[in-house]
Amino acid sequence: MHSRHAGLTYIVPAFALLGLVLFSPVFYGFWFSLFRIQYGAPTDFVGLDNFVRLLDDPTLGGTLSRSTVFTVFAVLFTILIALALSVWIHKLGEKRGFIVQMIVIVPWIISTVVATLLFRWVFVNDIGLALSLARMAGFNDIRLLNDPTSAMTLLIAVSVWKRIGYAVIILLAGLKSIPDDYEEAALIDGANSWQIFRRITLPLLKTPLLLVAIVLTLSNLNTVETPLVLTGGGPGNATRILPIEVFDRAFVNYDLGSATALALVMFLGNILLVLAYVRLAKWKT
Amino acid sequence: MNTISSNRAAAAPYVVPAKRRRHLIGVSGILIACAFTALAVLNLLPLIWGILTSLKAPSDMFRFPPVLFDFTPTLDNYRRVIESGFLGNMKMSLFYSATTVAGTLVLALPAAYAFDRFNFPLRGPLFLLVVASIPLSLGAAALLIPNYLYFTRLGLTNAWYTLPLIYTAHQLPMAIWIMKGTIEGIPRELDEAAIADGASHFEVLRYVILPLSRPAFGAAGVLTFVGSWNEFVAGSVMVDSPQLRPIQPAIYNFIGFFGREWGPLTASATLAILPILIVFALLGRLIVSGLTKGSVKG
Amino acid sequence: MLRRIALSMVLAGTMAAAIPAYAQQTQVRMWTFLNPAGTTPREVALKTIIENFEKANPDIDVVVEPQAWDQMTPKFLAANNAGNAPDVIWVVTDFLGDAIKSGSLASLNDLFIKDWSEEQVADRAGAYWDLTNVDGVQHALFTSRNYISIVYRKDFFDEAGIDPASITTWDEFLKAAEELTVKDSSGQVTRYGFVQGFSENQADPPMMIPYMLGKGAELFNADGTANFASPEGVEALTFQTDLIKKYNVMPEAAVSWTVDDVYEQFASGRAAMILGASVRVSTLQSQLDKDKVGMMLWPGSGDMAHSPAVMAGWAVGVWSKSPVQEQAGKFVDYMLGPDGDKLWVEEGGQSPGLVSTLEGLGDFPQQPGNEYLQVVSEGSAKYGWLAPIDFSIGGYRQSLNKAAQAVVVNGTDPQQALEDAASEFDRANNR
Repeated sequence: MHSRHAGLTYIVPAFALLGLVLFSPVFYGFWFSLFRIQYGAPTDFVGLDNFVRLLDDPTLGGTLSRSTVFTVFAVLFTILIALALSVWIHKLGEKRGFIVQMIVIVPWIISTVVATLLFRWVFVNDIGLALSLARMAGFNDIRLLNDPTSAMTLLIAVSVWKRIGYAVIILLAGLKSIPDDYEEAALIDGANSWQIFRRITLPLLKTPLLLVAIVLTLSNLNTVETPLVLTGGGPGNATRILPIEVFDRAFVNYDLGSATALALVMFLGNILLVLAYVRLAKWKT
Repeated sequence: MNTISSNRAAAAPYVVPAKRRRHLIGVSGILIACAFTALAVLNLLPLIWGILTSLKAPSDMFRFPPVLFDFTPTLDNYRRVIESGFLGNMKMSLFYSATTVAGTLVLALPAAYAFDRFNFPLRGPLFLLVVASIPLSLGAAALLIPNYLYFTRLGLTNAWYTLPLIYTAHQLPMAIWIMKGTIEGIPRELDEAAIADGASHFEVLRYVILPLSRPAFGAAGVLTFVGSWNEFVAGSVMVDSPQLRPIQPAIYNFIGFFGREWGPLTASATLAILPILIVFALLGRLIVSGLTKGSVKG
Repeated sequence: MLRRIALSMVLAGTMAAAIPAYAQQTQVRMWTFLNPAGTTPREVALKTIIENFEKANPDIDVVVEPQAWDQMTPKFLAANNAGNAPDVIWVVTDFLGDAIKSGSLASLNDLFIKDWSEEQVADRAGAYWDLTNVDGVQHALFTSRNYISIVYRKDFFDEAGIDPASITTWDEFLKAAEELTVKDSSGQVTRYGFVQGFSENQADPPMMIPYMLGKGAELFNADGTANFASPEGVEALTFQTDLIKKYNVMPEAAVSWTVDDVYEQFASGRAAMILGASVRVSTLQSQLDKDKVGMMLWPGSGDMAHSPAVMAGWAVGVWSKSPVQEQAGKFVDYMLGPDGDKLWVEEGGQSPGLVSTLEGLGDFPQQPGNEYLQVVSEGSAKYGWLAPIDFSIGGYRQSLNKAAQAVVVNGTDPQQALEDAASEFDRANNR
């Protein structure tokens, strides 16, 4: 439609920056992982040894499946709740919608570590508000973090809680850019709200939904602060997910070769996931 | 296609139709009210608790059972935070976030425009590359040490432009995608009409696309600001001088080696969310108010 | 025209006169987690130390770049490779071996120790001095010494009529813990006798370490592999977890508690004794009352009066590739010397590092709330254990905590749990 090269000039500045800051460090990181890293410096060339050693670790399989379970549930619940909230805010009009939106984004705008610590203190700590109230109401012996299942549930809940604000912003922006007359026309034609939502709104939200799904999946797969601060991976291995594994290798055992290898493998997995999402959504660029 | 454009031209300013409004009362209304209360409690209680904690003296902090209001408030924690140079960190973070927002929007809009409106070689794969670089910005912590070595070798660390460069790159993929999504919804007839009137591509971008991209600017702007404001890893590793430090490492300093000090920690965290709330108050309206009607006439 | 030439000559002359002053001021960069602009006692002490030093040495400008403590040492090692490391660095005990072996820490003998008198050397004698000595060369000097044993509520002990000095065996310890555990009318425990945390995030050395060290077992073999599952280790872990499962003096929730959670429980009066670090006592005293918080040594195993406590600290070193090593060394010498040590103790609330400081304190340790300093001094001298630096032991505390979690939550057999922990530790450290 337009001249073929004009487009390229528009994207060159963006790609130059991405190349410098995001892409080239990956190549450097890969080169770095081909060496035995001692005291933070590459020493002998060992090829893919760091990667092969990953396969020798019997715990990684469990970690991977836990990461999967965690991410699936966290993303699913975040999207469902955020979608419901966005639709509601959309219908509320400008003033009230703005207030609700402010309330919704509060957990998201507080720095992750502080937010997780606060949530933990108010809702999880046995000397915190929530459990003290529960005890006064007669509920004793509530096991939260020392039970494997409830620890994982709590981790999912906190991850959802933290990210809903972000999802709402994107979905709301998407909702607001759908012309109102589409829905008006359908209403006039006699459709009910649910049909309108399913047949008109959702398909037009495909791009924001895809963006939210991808970012939430990647964020939950890669972020270490929330699980580290909330559960530390415990009890036992119940909430030990991939980012904790990378963190431990890098900063506890100080095995940078294996940490970088694992990080790169995860990064590759991330890219494949993104491509899979795009393909599944039959999304045309 | 034509019917819809003419419908849009005829659309009246947005008013919630009476039929839709009635829907919210009744059973669904009560359900929604309950759900909203639960949401408000879950979201606001930790924040309120944090603010209350920031006003407590050390001896009041761990009283058991926990006290909500029965204590003498003190501004001591805030004084400590400010005396340790926190306002300087806030200033730096404002600088970093503002430049990141500006840089991101300036780079993302043309790129999104190009991806949607132009057909150039490798367009598909290049866009997939943008999408695929989202994990790179999210998984930054994993490749921390190699990244640090790489940037040090390039001489890019510990300068005033270090963090704006890094943050802009982190936010760019998402911003491009959001903008592209909005530009997709802008009818091409508008472009064609402008070109028929003799506009260049750039003028189309400036006078047709730009004004209609406001929700995207709002969304991308808020996301970029919050993303760079709350970024911790690069902020603590890539810069060393105290004068260049953003706020997250400064807050984190209160989760110190000698134990987390809840007083200054919550005080600094409270101070840190104020600018975000302001930015959201300014830019967030762009998201909520939606497309401006009336600027599009047949 | 002439005026302009004259003006520029005057300018040049002024600048030439000024340049020597600037050229002579060397900058010494230090990485630590303390912020001299901060308001905690230690940070104020650091600021005073720097001010005093700069006054006495106007040609040296000490610049502190505070870092996040858990990233600081890995970042330093990376910076060592990249060539832009700071001149003075604080290294955490866990990474000290790596730091020394990487050659990134200069020899302090060459810098200033060679100028010390014999008394000055003897003033430093002790386990910490020995640890930083590799082949006769001192690579770092310790500060922020930490002694990890039992922190207790004096008022609760007085109430129950128990004298902490009488607790010399583990049985007596258990008895005291049971007596100090308080239940309310509905049978709910409102105060636990002894609390420690078993979270992997923020893991302090668990009680089982002093227990097994006291019985004569070693934590690590000579080749660096873990020796957790020894009979003494199993006995230690069993005793530790029985505190939760059998004797109910520790809550099950402790399985998920971090170090900070435990201190908060203590500060809210829900624990009579906790596994505590000496560096945290001053903070606890600011939250409770000075005379309510004390420290005691671990009970003995019968062979010795008290089981050895794990000690830790921060080792301060000079970067071996620093262009200003001499000045950096001068600063380290001052900061950790008699003047600096006095400030660290009196203003910063730290335990003394020099024998002479301790002696020069007068009745400071007798003042209410400061008795713990004497306990710590005695413990550090006679009943202490420092982690070896010949091999990397990263993650050993986390592994032991995980074993405890397995026993309490999953009901794993202690022997099995320790064997799993040992093999996991070995694998993570490539042994």
